[in-house]
Amino acid sequence: MTETRSKADHWLALESPNSGGHWGCRIESVGVKLPTGTLTTRNLMNQAKHRTHIQLERLTGIHERHVVGPGENSFTLAAGAARDCLTHSQHQASDIEMLISTSITRSKGRSWQSFEPPLSLYVKQAIGAAQAANFDLSNACAGMLTGVFVLQDLVTRGEISCGMAVSGEYISHLSWNAAKQIRSLFSKQLASLTLGDAGAAVIVERAPDGVPGIDVIGFTTLAEHSRLCLAFPSTVGPGAQMYTKSRALQKVAIEDMAPLVAEVIGEAGIDLADIDYLIPHQTSARAIRQGMQEFARRLGAQPKHVVVNLEEYGNTSSTTLFVALHKYLEEQRMHAGDRVMLLALASGIEIGIAVFTIDEQVDHYGHTH
Amino acid sequence: MGTRIEAVSALTSRGLRKPTARRLAEAAARTCLEHARREPGDIDMLINAGIYREDNMGEPALAALIQEDIGANLGQPPIGGQGTFSFDLMNGICGVINATQLEAGLLRSGIVRLGAIVTSDVDPNLVDPRSAPFRPAGGAMLLSWDDSIAGFTDFCTETFPEYEDLFVSGLVWRERHRLHAPRQATGQSQMVIDEKPGYHDRLVDCAEEATRRFLRRLGMGIGEIDLLVPVPSFPDFLDPLKVRLGIPGDRIAYVTEDLEGAYTTGPIAALQAAVKSGRLGEARNTVMLAAGAGITVALALYRQTLP
Repeated sequence: MTETRSKADHWLALESPNSGGHWGCRIESVGVKLPTGTLTTRNLMNQAKHRTHIQLERLTGIHERHVVGPGENSFTLAAGAARDCLTHSQHQASDIEMLISTSITRSKGRSWQSFEPPLSLYVKQAIGAAQAANFDLSNACAGMLTGVFVLQDLVTRGEISCGMAVSGEYISHLSWNAAKQIRSLFSKQLASLTLGDAGAAVIVERAPDGVPGIDVIGFTTLAEHSRLCLAFPSTVGPGAQMYTKSRALQKVAIEDMAPLVAEVIGEAGIDLADIDYLIPHQTSARAIRQGMQEFARRLGAQPKHVVVNLEEYGNTSSTTLFVALHKYLEEQRMHAGDRVMLLALASGIEIGIAVFTIDEQVDHYGHTH
Repeated sequence: MGTRIEAVSALTSRGLRKPTARRLAEAAARTCLEHARREPGDIDMLINAGIYREDNMGEPALAALIQEDIGANLGQPPIGGQGTFSFDLMNGICGVINATQLEAGLLRSGIVRLGAIVTSDVDPNLVDPRSAPFRPAGGAMLLSWDDSIAGFTDFCTETFPEYEDLFVSGLVWRERHRLHAPRQATGQSQMVIDEKPGYHDRLVDCAEEATRRFLRRLGMGIGEIDLLVPVPSFPDFLDPLKVRLGIPGDRIAYVTEDLEGAYTTGPIAALQAAVKSGRLGEARNTVMLAAGAGITVALALYRQTLP
């Protein structure tokens, strides 16, 4: 195998065709499993123990979110999403050579968070991918895109030809725990009220000849701000509690993301205006708007469309990017040749950016499916 | 040319005032950087493969906190420059080998020039403290590219899910009924670790089967293994494995007594012993082997010579 080993001067750990991989790589299919229940923001706030006077829907743009019902948990959402992903794919479960579970939550049962064996083992067994190597990866809300980053490297070097990153997030218990304690708009648990449950899965494979696939994918950890958002097991109810310095986190994200986006589009040899759909991590409509304004100011361009699906899903943590992508594919809003940018933002602070081109995979979604 | 183990460091909690998972990993990382005469800012990628933490923090990745604590590329990203990318990988005692596989790939691609893997495990608020299958310890390993050796050439991870129930761990919610609990507290999540009888025997069975299959795939015989680095380090596993594989005891890297029972740090502790004794440097073919929950067996071949 010939080696191409000249790390360019990037802040991001960056993979692109310039990285010297032998094969192209593409996102072949995306699957989603939404839990059966829904919870409106109004009903959530009605459950708050204290009178908070927080106008959460106006503040965040979230009208409702999906929440788990009886028998649903991180594992069932992940397995459901993986199965859905396979229905949109040309692959069988037996083709998957590596399966990575990337969720923050790892519930298997209503009040059991599985540590060992890893959740990925249970998921691969559930979908019949027994031959796949597996492990769990944890990178907060950037987990799924981190899984894609890892799989992309394995695929481009020819170590595997097909892998799956999957996540099942039963994370709404943070909302319930926050609702018991939150007193005002300035509570560090405010961000917990935006969370919704969902499962998502993505198959990453060796791209057929002539298919553009993933142009660039890059990641970095701005660890100076690693303590701006922390989650621990709760003492007021099952699950966790999350404490976020939201304003500080948003300030850092808006300030530091622009040069990183510039690095990615520079590597791809494109302009931000060449992006047809930018899918950012779904936190709040206001924060996304401010972020886009900053991009326009600093990069002198804007993407053609910015995807916001907060109104009906809320923030589904590590699955947000792929829930949004799946929705747009199903609604046939995206077309072959469209260029998409995924923008992950997570506590850490983790920033991940991927640019890829939609190909004939769109035919597997919407009315044709 | 290939991925080289540049330095390793494994340590116990001795001497640490408050041995948290973060502090153990941080201390090991600092020692490892000293051994390699490297700066924290040289690290392009940091993977934490530790599992059990005192607070069971769910996010961010513990790796991000460790990156901050050792001071690896903090500050605002300029265009260009160099950052560090950190995340956690969880696969129990096999995590270090999985993380090595990822870093070796990224080193080969040139995306990473120096990769770090850190580990640590401490009491994770166990329901039954006697159920802990490990001793608190922390580890760190630095990986870089070397044109003069083959380095890590092959990896394999196999699972035997028919035995998935023999070792399970997880957090379970328990209502609190104490009088002096904090005002709002109604309970807590505690860690349950459940090891069933026969687990060690099946670990040996699976480790032997996976190792033979791995070597067969590589066209190697047991006799060609100059050094076997196996975990877990307890005699119930090592002694029968040694006999079943037919590998002499002097070709096995045993951890030092103070690190016996180290969990995710186990592979690094065994490598450290092999480095200190000079055996890693002398071995042409080193096989790392880890067997744990799942049952999962992870293997890696490390070659000092050029292919």
